[in-house]
Amino acid sequence: MPNPVLQFQIISKDPDQAAAFYSSLFGWKINSQNPLGYRRIETGSAEGIQGGIWPAPPQAPTFAQLFIGVDDVREAVASAEKLGAKLLIPPTVLPEGDEMAVLHDPQGMPFAVWKRQ
Amino acid sequence: MHARFSDRLQREFQQRRAKNRRYSLRAFAAALGTDHSTLSQVLRNRRRVSVIRIRAWAKRLQIDPEETAAYVIAEQLIDDQALRRDTELRHWSAEAAAVLAGRTHWEIVRWSRTPEFRPDCRWIAERTGATTDEVNVALARLLRLGLLEIRGKDAWCACPAENEKEFRRLALARVRQRKSDAQSRTAIPNHL
Repeated sequence: MPNPVLQFQIISKDPDQAAAFYSSLFGWKINSQNPLGYRRIETGSAEGIQGGIWPAPPQAPTFAQLFIGVDDVREAVASAEKLGAKLLIPPTVLPEGDEMAVLHDPQGMPFAVWKRQ
Repeated sequence: MHARFSDRLQREFQQRRAKNRRYSLRAFAAALGTDHSTLSQVLRNRRRVSVIRIRAWAKRLQIDPEETAAYVIAEQLIDDQALRRDTELRHWSAEAAAVLAGRTHWEIVRWSRTPEFRPDCRWIAERTGATTDEVNVALARLLRLGLLEIRGKDAWCACPAENEKEFRRLALARVRQRKSDAQSRTAIPNHL
């Protein structure tokens, strides 16, 4: 299977403000009716990918992160680590059944590998 | 590739030796106001030169200020690895401070062991009195520190701490381990 970018995620110190800004600017819909209270971004277009907003811890900057689809999260983590990535959040099953892990690439950029349910 | 000050020093030394074959490393070190052992390590790229030393030595060698500025910038770029290490160490210190500052982390762990637990951050927020965002920030931190694993939809496996005091002790131990890992991963040569 190829490994497409499935989602973008904005890590924000002020998620409400980020949600208000992007929904006002682009007309994106924000839906947080899910067990994580995760602010899902629906861009309203079939083109491109959808996204989400997650709260940043106080010491982190605001940034955007890519979620890359994989067949097997643990295998993807092992491959990434062999190539110099560093695991930040180990493989975790989200409340709705998706599985993800977050890593830093060798240059320190965070990204996630994600398997949809 | 950026010009390195150590290469400039090497060139200067070779030029001086070309003019005077008896010109020694000790003499060059004396000209710079340092000892020959330190200079030898710098010339072999075994030690790095601080920005303060670059400026001082460049002045003694009468290097043009513009050229000196270029070496300073190059050295600061080389320092990127050290900067990343410092950022990571600060990150883990902040993680420790956050765990100590509030009860949300422990409350998530505690609730996750109760029979009525629901793997729903909104439900946890209601029980703990925190906002959903605060729960999510704490949840991500617990995952980063390995204090909680989520192995399946309803399989939240918290660390074995039996009370809040033990939980905090365990959290601090995990932070210390992460900091130690960061330091060993990005060990850098001595910086003069």
